[in-house]
Amino acid sequence: MTRTKPAAVEVRGLAKHYGSVVALKDVDLTIAAGEYFVLLGPSGGGKTTLLRTIGGFHRATHGEVLLHGREVGHLPPDKRPTSMVFQSYALFPHMTVMQNVGYGLKIAGLDKASRRDKSAAALDMVGLQGFADRKPHELSGGQQQRVQLARAMVLDRDILLLDEPLAALDAQLRKDMCLELKHLQEKVGITFIHVTHNQEEAMTVADRIALIADGDLIEVGPAREVYRAPDKRFTASFVGENNLLTGKVTAVSGSEVTVDVAGEAIKVDRRGLDVTTGQEVSMSVRSELVRMSLGDTDDARPGHALMGTYNEAVYLGLTTSHLISVAPGCEVTSRVVDDLDDLPAHGAPVRVYWAPGDLRLHTS
Amino acid sequence: MDDYANPLLHRLKWAYLLLVVLTLMSPVFYVMYISFNQNGFGANEYVFTLEWYGLIFSDKLLMGALGWTMALSVTTTLIAVPMALLAAKYYKAAQNKLLPVFLMLAPLFVAPDILGSALLVFFKNLNGTMVTLGDALGTGLFDGWFDLGFATSLVGLIIYTIPYSFVVILITMGRYRSEQTEAARACGANGWRAFWDIEFPQIRAGIFSAAAFTVILCFNEYTRTSLLKGGFDTFTTVLVSQMLNTGMSEQSYAMSSFVSFIAIAVIGGIIVYTLVRAEILSKEARAKSAPVMST
Repeated sequence: MTRTKPAAVEVRGLAKHYGSVVALKDVDLTIAAGEYFVLLGPSGGGKTTLLRTIGGFHRATHGEVLLHGREVGHLPPDKRPTSMVFQSYALFPHMTVMQNVGYGLKIAGLDKASRRDKSAAALDMVGLQGFADRKPHELSGGQQQRVQLARAMVLDRDILLLDEPLAALDAQLRKDMCLELKHLQEKVGITFIHVTHNQEEAMTVADRIALIADGDLIEVGPAREVYRAPDKRFTASFVGENNLLTGKVTAVSGSEVTVDVAGEAIKVDRRGLDVTTGQEVSMSVRSELVRMSLGDTDDARPGHALMGTYNEAVYLGLTTSHLISVAPGCEVTSRVVDDLDDLPAHGAPVRVYWAPGDLRLHTS
Repeated sequence: MDDYANPLLHRLKWAYLLLVVLTLMSPVFYVMYISFNQNGFGANEYVFTLEWYGLIFSDKLLMGALGWTMALSVTTTLIAVPMALLAAKYYKAAQNKLLPVFLMLAPLFVAPDILGSALLVFFKNLNGTMVTLGDALGTGLFDGWFDLGFATSLVGLIIYTIPYSFVVILITMGRYRSEQTEAARACGANGWRAFWDIEFPQIRAGIFSAAAFTVILCFNEYTRTSLLKGGFDTFTTVLVSQMLNTGMSEQSYAMSSFVSFIAIAVIGGIIVYTLVRAEILSKEARAKSAPVMST
């Protein structure tokens, strides 16, 4: 893990207001040098605002941005040790691919031969050798995005900001480019900060993920932890396919909390949270951890199962999702790899259950 | 024309368009026709000649007026086009776009004689104020700062031409994406370099068109200039004065035609160049895009 490395980016109490609209609320964040960090969240949540503020394209309303320990809030983008890849390609249409890649080097005052050599190497790195004399409009979306990458990487800056770099690409190309980005980051070893609203993309590339919504930094953690053990209710609802159950706490005993869900007493680990009897809480369990049984089964332990009625199956190719109603307006999804031949009839009584420890308690 | 359009109707539309243009341009063509007649306007016999064009340069009144008009139009262009460019850039960046566009286009909605008269009164009052100020300070240093002349005409022409320049530049800027400026800044360019290297080459056609348009408008303008010019004559004021008093001289017909030829050549040249260039780029793109791999 890269968190023991020195901080490349530190954000302290950062806020950005547009008049009465608050785009970012007092965000604190530290990103280690050499880390592939992803800002994940729904559209309009503030993740691009945070990225652009780090890059110097927005001035923070208050708070600090430190790059390698140096406060840079007063500096414009061209004075910061960052480079950026934009969502909308943003290539210079009147320049060739080679000129695009070499533009930053020209600004830096490198001679023509050095520019040509470095640009050619950068194009080679992104697999675009032979495209140097083309104009941007002669390239596909994926190729244009690679040119942007080359243009940013050739500057040898150690923080690369990527603002939804794959959003405009088709699904297959996005998957391919995700892996390419990850491999590229591992190869060059610089800090990548990548904004996306696509959780699959985030999981593929990220060392760590920060969830951002409504201007708040909801949760930060390693990609696997965020997926497997979400701390906040929002994280559980946004990352992966989690079932969310709500209920009232009926008992708190040591590390175990009992919650009334649809008339059944559900047991869940307290996780050190401050919980009191009568409190309204949420719980989440990933759909792939939920099992379904038509009859009684020894696997369904009391306190870790709910009775419901079978609704329907949604075939998703690799997996099948079974949808079960456990209460009015409350549906639980059980996702399995097996493709069942005999599906339960609609309305058939079924039991859904999970292993103790798979259900997570959330108080916020 | 789409696949379901009536071909006859399509031709009729084009014929109508051509008729409108010919109707609008026929007086200009008539002036051009007269300018090549040895016997001038109203003569029974038409004898082709280029003599009047040769004599343009011997007409001191006309040449003097042309000189003033050229000086005014060049100065106006050098001031109005950069101002319009700055305004267009501000407009693109502004959150509230209604106010700047209203402010920039407002001079278009005021009748030229009203605007000209208002400026005339304004400058006269300003001149009086400066003289009073000078008297109070015991100096004649401020006298005549705002006497009618080149500077006051210039102000009138700048106010007149800025809205047009603004619109022409804004149309060109509409296709420019500000992310390119941000990308240039991210590459290390300061604001000026980002503009000069990235934005300017893409809006250059609009800026040059605005400049050409401004020059033509300056040649075209009569009302404001005649009210604000003071002691010199411009090409238009000479022509109008001749028309109202003695009738246009043969040299004036030739000069009018000459200016019209230049205006049509400049604007036509810009249009043809733009269309041809767009077609060449499109052909190149089609030719080169074929062998490009899909990823």
